[in-house]
Amino acid sequence: MTNSLPDEDLMFHVRNGVGESLGVLFDRYQDPLFNFYCRLTGDRTVSEDLVQDVFYRILKYRQTYRPGTSFRTWMYQIARNARLDSLRKEKVQVPLEFDITGPQQPDRVQQEQETALLHKALMQLPEEKREILVLSRFQELKYEEIAQLLGCEVGAVKVRVFRALKELRTAFQELESQGASTRSLRSQS
Amino acid sequence: MNCKEFENLLPDFLQDSLSGEQLTAAKLHGAECADCREMIALWGKLSTLPEEHARPALRARFEAMLNAFQEGRWEHEKLKSARNKIPSWGFADLFRAPAAQVAFAMLFMVIGVFVGRYLDKPAANTQELAALHQEVSSMRQLVVLSLLQQQSASERLQGVNWSLQVNRADPEILSALLHTLRFDSSVDVKLAALDALRKYNTDPQVRKGLVDALQAQQSPMVQIALIDTLVELHESDAVEQIKKFQKSPNLNPTVRQRAEWGINKLSRG
Repeated sequence: MTNSLPDEDLMFHVRNGVGESLGVLFDRYQDPLFNFYCRLTGDRTVSEDLVQDVFYRILKYRQTYRPGTSFRTWMYQIARNARLDSLRKEKVQVPLEFDITGPQQPDRVQQEQETALLHKALMQLPEEKREILVLSRFQELKYEEIAQLLGCEVGAVKVRVFRALKELRTAFQELESQGASTRSLRSQS
Repeated sequence: MNCKEFENLLPDFLQDSLSGEQLTAAKLHGAECADCREMIALWGKLSTLPEEHARPALRARFEAMLNAFQEGRWEHEKLKSARNKIPSWGFADLFRAPAAQVAFAMLFMVIGVFVGRYLDKPAANTQELAALHQEVSSMRQLVVLSLLQQQSASERLQGVNWSLQVNRADPEILSALLHTLRFDSSVDVKLAALDALRKYNTDPQVRKGLVDALQAQQSPMVQIALIDTLVELHESDAVEQIKKFQKSPNLNPTVRQRAEWGINKLSRG
């Protein structure tokens, strides 16, 4: 069964011109890639275009995939390049807004607000910091894979993850205190 | 363990790759130090960010691309869209430059003058030309007749359209069109055939064929179009046929009404 084959075997088929195998890879990775881009760009439309671009590039550059090497790392390499290319011609970004309207439980509202703040804080980070968090946290890439992807030492990746997380904490705390002060102002008036 | 040491271990701690003494020491520090604990908590909170899902349209786009790839036309299409971004001077671009267009226009004019002069000279050529016309015309007939017998409706439709290009009313083509009008399985092809036959409305074979075709029709659209055509042609011989047709059972009420209207029109002359 094609559906249970490892990524590398499927990509090997694609490399030999079997297009159907790419369909299986698409089903496996469209959501992870879509999330990767959503978190990086905060824009769904841009993210969809980028996912499409990644699979186009996979087809186009299928011969450059070296059999036996990790497909996932190779794919994220392509995904990063696609993003870098799109950054060069990108126009205005429409930030991804979380819908926190409608009747909700108080603790749920608080949770959603916290999530929205966290998202905002994440979007405030410089893209390379955001990227390393997204790769290590959401895409669940091992530091070794990220090191390979970014072309640096594993130690350097760990340092970068730590710095990015620290900066995220600062941004998040600032947003939280801002939110708290506006809330207290509102309750005073 | 102090904060500095903890920071060094934190990334591995976050990905669950610490073990033994290091893990215990890191946990211990996390329990003591609020700042470091907050870093761990933040990492955990990141998982509360909602998971996004791509719309099904993405899959559809992917499939379109994959199909294009499998049919071998995708590189071309992508290149076509990429051309807008990268300015290049291919052969085709030559035709887009205004200066080149002027040059081509002049070139064609000169060629036209020479060809015109050359063709103008011998009168004997008219005979050859007539023979050529004849040949083309019979070629067209052949094409029409063979197209009208095709399996696919669109090809038969093409056949009907081709028949309009045959100048003379060729009996063979007319009877083929009448046959199509009566027996074709596609309403579109029938309607096209009817349209084509209107062009030959002076031909007695066609007029009689149209009258006879009415009884064989099932589709209300064709029925109404036929009645309209017969009225338009003032085909008074059709009255009897329409009357008979109007009495047939299971007739669409609109068609029955139309038939009555047709009878009135035609009997009044």
